Amino acid sequence: MRRFWIAVIVWLIPTAAPAQDASRLWIVAGGASGTLRGHCQECEEDFPFRHGGALVGNAGYRVNSRLDVGADLFWMQWRNDSGRIRATAIDAVAQFRPWEPKGFFVKGGAGMAFVRNWVHTLGPHPDDSKALAVVIGAGWEFKPRGHLGLQLFGMQHVGALGDLQTVNGPVADVAANFWSLGGAIVIR
Amino acid sequence: MTWGRDSFSILPLAVALLLGSTGTSLIAQELATSARETAPAAQDDQGLAVNTTDAQRACDGCPPRRIGTALLQTTGINVVYGLANLARGQVTGRITPKTWWANMQQGWVWDLDDFAVNQIGHPYQGSNYFNAGRANGLSFYESAAVTAFGSATWEFFGETNHASLNDFINTTLGGITLGEMLHRTGWLIRNTQATGKRRLWSEVGATALDPITGLNRFASGDAARISEKPSDLVPSSLSGVASAGVLWRGSQSRAFTATGDPFLEVDAYYGDANVGRSRTPYDAFWIRMRFGGGSPFSEARVRGRLYGQPIGGGPLQFSVIQTYNYNTNDAYSTGSQAIDAGLGTTLALSSRTNFWILGWGGLTVLGAVDSLPLGVNEEPEDETESSAGQGVSEGPRFYDYGPGSDFGTLARLTHDGREVVLFFYVGRQIYSLDGVRANHFLQQTRADLLLPLHGPLGVGASAEYFHRRSYYQDADRTIKTYHYPQVRVYLTWGNR
Repeated sequence: MRRFWIAVIVWLIPTAAPAQDASRLWIVAGGASGTLRGHCQECEEDFPFRHGGALVGNAGYRVNSRLDVGADLFWMQWRNDSGRIRATAIDAVAQFRPWEPKGFFVKGGAGMAFVRNWVHTLGPHPDDSKALAVVIGAGWEFKPRGHLGLQLFGMQHVGALGDLQTVNGPVADVAANFWSLGGAIVIR
Repeated sequence: MTWGRDSFSILPLAVALLLGSTGTSLIAQELATSARETAPAAQDDQGLAVNTTDAQRACDGCPPRRIGTALLQTTGINVVYGLANLARGQVTGRITPKTWWANMQQGWVWDLDDFAVNQIGHPYQGSNYFNAGRANGLSFYESAAVTAFGSATWEFFGETNHASLNDFINTTLGGITLGEMLHRTGWLIRNTQATGKRRLWSEVGATALDPITGLNRFASGDAARISEKPSDLVPSSLSGVASAGVLWRGSQSRAFTATGDPFLEVDAYYGDANVGRSRTPYDAFWIRMRFGGGSPFSEARVRGRLYGQPIGGGPLQFSVIQTYNYNTNDAYSTGSQAIDAGLGTTLALSSRTNFWILGWGGLTVLGAVDSLPLGVNEEPEDETESSAGQGVSEGPRFYDYGPGSDFGTLARLTHDGREVVLFFYVGRQIYSLDGVRANHFLQQTRADLLLPLHGPLGVGASAEYFHRRSYYQDADRTIKTYHYPQVRVYLTWGNR
């Protein structure tokens, strides 16, 4: 079924009008399948991979036919032994198409991640923390010169947390890596 | 030995060998083709400028635009650095597809390498990637993307170490800053109108500063071709001064030391950061480097303008500035990559006297600051023999990483174009995310008085004050403070 809808969207896109020079808007919205793995500097144990759905989005400015700059949003929620965790990364990003008009693009940026951590043994209120976030990624955009396009992408986000509260107490120097594969609608 | 244009045709092979295994044949073919195409045109000109602009060149003196070659050369640079690590006996150089897969599965981590390796070595390596882009006709921002590509591929595939987040940021942002600064400085040295030995030495000098651009120019034949310099690489103004003298450091508990430390400091101003509408990154930048004065290499700052805009048609100027910072002194050792917004102006106090002031504030994307665990007053000597090889640290690491903010001001009073008073202040806040959890607040204030003696020779004196306050996030909320003054006298050569 998913393949069908992707095929429908790709089929529809050629009818979209080419982006006008006056329009500088760059908006991306979509979803992804995410995989997460935490890590800390002094930990001996091997942390498991965890999976979940993720939402992705971009809003920004089309600098020229090769370069878009703006904000990148990545949202993912998952469960671990301590309870439920939600991470939201907001990064300043640049997306670059080296072989424009071909749709291949690379993306990179940095910003902040906000983590809400419901540790069930500590009570109903979540533990909030902020993290340094970095994102890199690559993908392919279909019809990059149109008003409406579709992109498929792979991205890696990292959130360097500092301390993470768990049922066994705080863990220091935690970094969480998020790998995501997904698709999104592009509006220019 | 006569150095002629014909000799360029053998250089592509040397460059291809230097760049390593991956894709070298493609690079060699491309460079050799380019050299063959360029050499006859250059021979025909008999020393006069000719129009060799082709579709791939943005201007006569610009390199041909080759995105694929830039990426291949970036990979080649990684191969060269990897081979150098192997030659030094580093275990991190023993890469295999298994280590690549392990690194990809692990993701980003913080590393434990030495301060200078991470804060100087990695940014320099990044400058090579950046200039692989610039040397192949890519713009500043396109080359920035190439730098990120080179840095990421090095971290995942160039070493057995897990990919280091701090290295990725330092290599990419530091590489962009140092890369564009070195690229532009190389173009200052390069004399594209000269011929013979004079031309050779100008190209060799530029290659020493920016080896990737230099090697590409030798390989393609551009190093001997008469052409105009690319107009966007010619500064609107240029000034600099070298200072050599002695400085005396104080401490928290006593006055200045009886014996001073010699130092050599270089300041350079490329373009004027306080005027003009600018959309050309680094058309104005400022460099300060200091050797000696307590440590072999004690200070490096590069501040490059990314964007400039006069406000309301008046004398006020808004700028966006990218900063590379490295500073070691008795109060703190720090290194950082930052993006600042600045506001400046130049005021004519008289026909011969000008006052120039710039204030800035912004975000430190990643900063490093020396830090000891609470209860430890001195860094213990590492007596264990590392099995990892030269240059590879297995920890512990006595400095921490985190984001933060920075702000400061730079003011200059000039008379007849010569600087007579200089004031500089910078404050830096770093919140350590990796290491001992603390908020570090670092400040430096400096005032210089300069007097001309004869011609470009002058004499100067300066007073400085360093201050550090660290707010630890332990149960007792410990606060530690260290501060000390410093004075110096020096001779100057040049003109700011």
